[in-house]
Amino acid sequence: MRIESSPALDALCGEYLIGTLQGSARRRFERALREEPRVALRLEHWRTTMAPRYSPAIAVQPSPQVWKRLQAELGLSRYRTPLLRRLGLWRALAAGAMAALVAGIAVEVLKPVPTEPAAVTIAQLEGQADVARVTAALSPDRNTLQLHAARPVLAGPAQSYELWLIPAEGGAPLSLAVLGNLDARVPVAPAHSKRLVPGAKLAISVEPAGGSPTGAPTGPVIMAGQIEI
Amino acid sequence: MLDDQQIKRLLLRAGARDEGSAEAFERLYRLCAPLLLGVAQRVVGRREVAEEVLHDAFAGIWRKAESFDPLANQPVAWMVAIVRNRAIDVRASHDVSRVDSYHDTLDSDPDGSLDRLFEWSPGPDENEDRRRAVGWLRDCLSKLQAVERQALVLAYQHGLSHGDLAAHLQKPLGTVKTWVRRGMESLRSCVETRMGTGR
Repeated sequence: MRIESSPALDALCGEYLIGTLQGSARRRFERALREEPRVALRLEHWRTTMAPRYSPAIAVQPSPQVWKRLQAELGLSRYRTPLLRRLGLWRALAAGAMAALVAGIAVEVLKPVPTEPAAVTIAQLEGQADVARVTAALSPDRNTLQLHAARPVLAGPAQSYELWLIPAEGGAPLSLAVLGNLDARVPVAPAHSKRLVPGAKLAISVEPAGGSPTGAPTGPVIMAGQIEI
Repeated sequence: MLDDQQIKRLLLRAGARDEGSAEAFERLYRLCAPLLLGVAQRVVGRREVAEEVLHDAFAGIWRKAESFDPLANQPVAWMVAIVRNRAIDVRASHDVSRVDSYHDTLDSDPDGSLDRLFEWSPGPDENEDRRRAVGWLRDCLSKLQAVERQALVLAYQHGLSHGDLAAHLQKPLGTVKTWVRRGMESLRSCVETRMGTGR
């Protein structure tokens, strides 16, 4: 049985949080955290409401060796801003031809970070006037849906937003994601991504924390939009 | 107090794995390592073992930063969980007779430690919802039965298993499991009733 639909979900979140879930039971739960979105969302709810924050008074300064070892073992020097770039181009140029030469080499050696190909906007979701407009863009590999809200839209602690796909051919809405806010990257399963076609619709409903308990929208739909591309 | 929004930005920056990721990770370490070492030390007891745990946990945080969920709103709690879980595993492999050796260092006043260990005043970045939730949690904890509260606080701060807890409290395993389970359940229903989502 999947943990996300188990009646023991809350008990497991609680015991995981407190630490009494140990050994293989903890590893099973951690696997579910990665694979079952509702488990992660429910744990996030527990963390927000049921876990106290530690007081700064318990802090202990670690010895400098811990950081030195981490830095060496993780090879962090590869990910540092080169000195010349930190100084700024003008100062590097002002430092003379030699510095300019070195900067040239540095640029040559440090290959630019490949940029992600742009996602294509496929739908604009709109609702009542007081709700921000949300754009939905699909990555070129059709694996990721990027939602962007014109203003931040955050769910209250007892609510989640759920993103639905209403197929062009009709039929029940398919749940794509349970969200805490509407600026989000949503991984899309292949079965769903082939249905993201013109004529289908995207809609967002308000659901209890963790998403619709029934698998179909239960709360008000706050915005919707037609897929156009 | 650690600012969750700032910690989240640093984690995402470290996870980007580009120029500047190392600086972000170093800043993250400087800000969080002292608190996390305190957390680890409460679980493993010895300072040098706790530093081992801190090292392993930060190596894990660097790896996991790449897949850190930008939607997660509790990055500090996420790091605390990594540290505590690592500490629990390290302790299990280090010391077979740990219950006896840790007995003396365990908290003898779990009720008082609620206010020593935890921060109940709201942080700078906290919104109204979170602020109210903290108040409800403190209040609901004080409404638990004393034995349940004691079991929860001891288990949480020292990362004790049910078995460790039973040995420490000198009660049967089943009794201790019930305290933990009932305590968590009462806490959840009390907090959710306040939130207006009780069932």
